[in-house]
Amino acid sequence: MAHIHCTDIVKSYGAHPVISGLNLDIPNHEFVVFLGPSGCGKSTMLRMIAGLEEVTGGRIEIGGTDVTDLPPGERGVAMVFQSYALYPHMSVADNITFGLRRQGVSKADIAPRLKQVAEVLGLENFLDRRPKNLSGGQQQRVAMARAMIKTPKVFLFDEPLSNLDAKLREKLRTEIRRMHLKLKTTTIFVTHDQLEAMTIADRIVLMRDGMIEQMGTPDEIFERPASRFVADFIGTPAMNFITAQLEPGLIAHSGSIRLQLSEVEFPSLKPGQEVELGLRPARMDLCEPGSANALTGEVVLVENMGAEGQVITEVDGAEISFVTQGFRDLSIGDTVHFTIRPEHIHVFDPKTGRSLRKD
Amino acid sequence: MGKLISTTLTRALLALLIIVALGPILWTVLGAFKELRDIVTPVPKLIFEPTLDNFATILRNPTIRDGLMHSVIVVSASVLIGAVLGIPAAHTLARHARRWGDDVQFFVLSLRFMPPVAIAIPFIVIYLDLGIYDTLFGLILVYLITTISTVIWLAVPAFERVPHDIEEAAAMEGCGPAEVFWRFSLPLAAPSLFGALVFTFVLVWNELLLALTLAAQNATLPVVAASITSLGKEVPWGVINAATVLLVLPPLVFIGLLMGLLNTMVRSGPK
Repeated sequence: MAHIHCTDIVKSYGAHPVISGLNLDIPNHEFVVFLGPSGCGKSTMLRMIAGLEEVTGGRIEIGGTDVTDLPPGERGVAMVFQSYALYPHMSVADNITFGLRRQGVSKADIAPRLKQVAEVLGLENFLDRRPKNLSGGQQQRVAMARAMIKTPKVFLFDEPLSNLDAKLREKLRTEIRRMHLKLKTTTIFVTHDQLEAMTIADRIVLMRDGMIEQMGTPDEIFERPASRFVADFIGTPAMNFITAQLEPGLIAHSGSIRLQLSEVEFPSLKPGQEVELGLRPARMDLCEPGSANALTGEVVLVENMGAEGQVITEVDGAEISFVTQGFRDLSIGDTVHFTIRPEHIHVFDPKTGRSLRKD
Repeated sequence: MGKLISTTLTRALLALLIIVALGPILWTVLGAFKELRDIVTPVPKLIFEPTLDNFATILRNPTIRDGLMHSVIVVSASVLIGAVLGIPAAHTLARHARRWGDDVQFFVLSLRFMPPVAIAIPFIVIYLDLGIYDTLFGLILVYLITTISTVIWLAVPAFERVPHDIEEAAAMEGCGPAEVFWRFSLPLAAPSLFGALVFTFVLVWNELLLALTLAAQNATLPVVAASITSLGKEVPWGVINAATVLLVLPPLVFIGLLMGLLNTMVRSGPK
């Protein structure tokens, strides 16, 4: 039973603060992803929970025990490293069982556990090999087996898939998710890949400059981004941003663009206010001229993505892109009309970057 | 065609270099098995009746035998102590004191810049005062400067090449710092460390000047071998050659081992 409780975590290297006063609660059994651009402090945060990095201030509790001053081996956590960090001078079997052998668990107890994790991860045929004779994906599985066999209270993954090719990454991502559904061990997974975070997480902790920018389910993060930063970071193709002026009737106006906003979502908006609109390409589609909330632009580029295509258009001299299945009928120079529903328009304060959506 | 010519030229040049490099060694080895009259003939002899007399003379000569014994004791003791003190120091520098690591490493290396002559004379005075002049202990002590500094200098990069993640993974499994060092850092750095020790061994084994100034009765083999040349006009060339072969043998064996080790490492390849 391991919920994780971080209170007022501060980390600085010399005078340079990396994390300043971070509070975080992770309930038992949850799969949490720390997401953010490089240098946002997500790996540092993970390493502090692991005990590989000392905290400058604050407390960390795992399963009700204060582990702030405990060495990594006594925290009941297991970690999978980006580089796998397998022991090159040991066989795969020895790599996996090292921790148990070290604790003095008897051979008779280790053997069935080794057999079980090897089966789950498909490593039965590699147990006698040395790590360097395995492929990247196999090495990653050994690293996961080594973490699993100890049945830890918490799994920590530090960008475990970033050294693998795209196809393998997708496969292992699914495997990790499946394994979590089965074992239900509390898990923290660090990544800078927003798609990986969206697909694998129960909850995403989106970090920026050592602070939590937003914490929520993938749906919340995608549909109700708390700030322009979150909105920009999540989703491919990236969101379009337009600065607009509000007119009576909650109409946002900018050049030729006039968009009706949702009164339910943004009750606090006042006419005359300047706002920044966020339009997700995936939430827009082609429409008839003169439809509600229609934008009109000239096609600059069409990117074929298979089932759908991204159409980049020029509207009033600025580029706005949208995604449509009907992209095959469009060619460069065409005039297109596309639309977005009011409830899909995000509105941000242009100064603070915070969302103006009601809580 | 041009490629053929350049290959042939390269091969010829390499062959020439090998002859130049190995010629003197070959001549010395041959000389070690020749009788004096075969050595001092005006026309060099390649075909002769080999003899082991020269080696017998050396090994029966108590001065040379003692020299060999002293060399073995002094060199192995100073390399061993140098390793015991230098290797953990290097690990600490590589892992925990990276900030000062470069400075300390340069300081250690700077000990090697110093010409031994500069310290030889002060050392004679100090050693006479301390009563350790002409003792094996004194020689071991002065050689420790060389061995510790060389071991640290070569072992810091060896430990830096051990991936930090592996040490951290071991720590995650509950290993304390000492256990991480013994079970992970040391075995993983072992091939490079072995090379460092061989290099250090050769360095000290060949040392002449300090041994010459700081010891008289308890001199090491290089000193004894050098002194044979001053026996007068009747230079015992065969014996000198045999002594040289004896002197060169241990470093050659070690370097052979080192090359073998390097080759297997290259063949198995880094992952």
